Amino acid sequence: MIELRDVRKFYRSGSGKAEILRGVNLRVEPGEYVAIMGKSGSGKSTMLNLLGTLDLLDSGTYELAGKSVHKMSRGRRARLRNEEVGFVFQHFQLIPNLSVYQNVLLPLTYGRKRLRRKKSRVLALLDEMGISNKKNQKPDRLSGGEKQRVAIARALVNEPRLILADEPTGSLDEETTESILKLFDRVHKNGATIIVITHDIEVAERAERILYLQNGVLV
Amino acid sequence: MKLFTAFKLACYGLWSNRFRVLSAMMGVVIGMFAVIVLTAIAIGVKDTLMKQMGSLGAEQILVLPGRVLDTANGQKDLLSGLTNVPSTLTYEDAKAIQDVPNVKSVTPQLETITIAQYDERNVQSVLVGTSDQYSRIQHADLSEGRFFTKEEQEEEARVIVLGNNIHEALLGKQEVPVEDEGSSDDAQQTKPIWKKVLDKLLGESASAEETSLVGKQVTINEETYEVIGVLAPNATLGSSTDNNIMLPIETALATTDMKNLTKMIVESASIQAVDEVDGAVFNAIKAQHSEIDFSVVKQDQMLGALGKVTSILQMMLFGITVTALLISGTGIMNVMVMSVRERTREIGIRKALGATTSEIMGQFFFETLLLCCIGGAVGIGLGYAFIEVWNNNIEIFALVLPMWAVKLALYTTFGIGSLFGIYPALKAARMKPSNALRFE
Repeated sequence: MIELRDVRKFYRSGSGKAEILRGVNLRVEPGEYVAIMGKSGSGKSTMLNLLGTLDLLDSGTYELAGKSVHKMSRGRRARLRNEEVGFVFQHFQLIPNLSVYQNVLLPLTYGRKRLRRKKSRVLALLDEMGISNKKNQKPDRLSGGEKQRVAIARALVNEPRLILADEPTGSLDEETTESILKLFDRVHKNGATIIVITHDIEVAERAERILYLQNGVLV
Repeated sequence: MKLFTAFKLACYGLWSNRFRVLSAMMGVVIGMFAVIVLTAIAIGVKDTLMKQMGSLGAEQILVLPGRVLDTANGQKDLLSGLTNVPSTLTYEDAKAIQDVPNVKSVTPQLETITIAQYDERNVQSVLVGTSDQYSRIQHADLSEGRFFTKEEQEEEARVIVLGNNIHEALLGKQEVPVEDEGSSDDAQQTKPIWKKVLDKLLGESASAEETSLVGKQVTINEETYEVIGVLAPNATLGSSTDNNIMLPIETALATTDMKNLTKMIVESASIQAVDEVDGAVFNAIKAQHSEIDFSVVKQDQMLGALGKVTSILQMMLFGITVTALLISGTGIMNVMVMSVRERTREIGIRKALGATTSEIMGQFFFETLLLCCIGGAVGIGLGYAFIEVWNNNIEIFALVLPMWAVKLALYTTFGIGSLFGIYPALKAARMKPSNALRFE
């Protein structure tokens, strides 16, 4: 599903360059549940941006679903992201002016997939997440747990093969964290590949494999 | 790129930010309203003036006091040459012109400001001493009575014809400038505003019993005149007869201290003879004067000068319009740039969900375009409503809104939307999703 080879990423820092990822190698099989842990500033978010094709690597190669991401144009990367990747962020990243329903529908709006019943797909997912009664509400009227359920529904709506989650329970209390992790378990059982970036060991332990990012290298 | 998707997203975008959008739209609404109304004023003024000048007739020649300079190409420069000089034209000049071959009629005009008095009501008016041809030449219809005859003119008859406003004012039906000195119209003066408004609404008046002054005596400069007619209202720019009192020129010369003519309108026997009459009239007056202190102007020369004035007016309005549009366009662009900044995180989210650069660009471009087009349509609608209200209530001149102005306004809004929509759209589209998602 994913193959990173000797991936390096630099950021400009003042007059010089800071190397965030120093030759990362990673292979994730389809249907795997992987957790990547690391301290703050270890490059976890950079790793997620590269995996999600939100950012470009400076050297090395990256293959996602058999396609060479590092050789792709910006437009093709956007298409790949839409079709193959679903994001779940720590701060939910819902569009405040859109309703729950519209937020979940958004990936389908940009997608090429000709889903015949977009509306029923969205409603079914909202039902599955237990938030179908909130479909017309704006995100600011929802609790943290409800917002994350909306974000998960949005990540799943396009039936992507890869779910990337960045600290998905970072803003939630214990009880809500557990319900969200159970959702991830369910999604995994349905065959999706999940990569969770976290610094919470309890969250990481739900994964099949835990990797540590230290000084820009996976160990 | 799916244009329809971008358009749909733009509609959503505008709707979800409708309060910000409304304030941004005001700029375009005001800009387009200004374009429509200013164009209608310019064309309305031009049409009215042209119609008035045109109504003189191609066979008519105007004789004015003062010298009109000639331009480099030999045309009369009416814009620079008509100076405020005391008139030296006399009734004798008019009589001399009458003897010129191919002259059908001469209508001299003596004008002064005076106070007309009736039933202890004093009304300021323009006293015009003229010939029996005046009503025909000025296209002034009579609403009551008749105009004075050639015989009455020659007999110095004490008869007058009232303009519509003067007639109404002397009857106490209309407010007009009134001389305070010596006025005993205390009841009218001291009447509270609410009573005046109520009277107007109810169509009542202190002198409502009297409906016409025809046959009555009106005092002007301590001389008494019989009212023989009233002109129908003809409120127009510049040469309205509504505030005039017409009397035979011989009577005016005998009973007032008016001596010099304000102007003369000479009518040629035929259009073909106009050029010949023009020269002959000039020579006839020149023979009576020691210097050339008068001007003889044909209708086409007046229309030419008027055309020049209205062209300047239109150029000025064009400048104001372009400035208004640039200001509103820049305003829209600034609002959209601010909107892009405010919605940076939203752009990041959309990109993370798979929106391409062209889709983001399309959304923001269509948002600006829609904003301009809706604002433009509202502005045009308001402008049209303003013109309708004006034309139904104000008589001085009609506002004219040609179809080309509406089309121009629509194309301009479309142009502004396209032009000023590009920069914010590019700004939004070029954002890196990873940076946009981190934006606070």
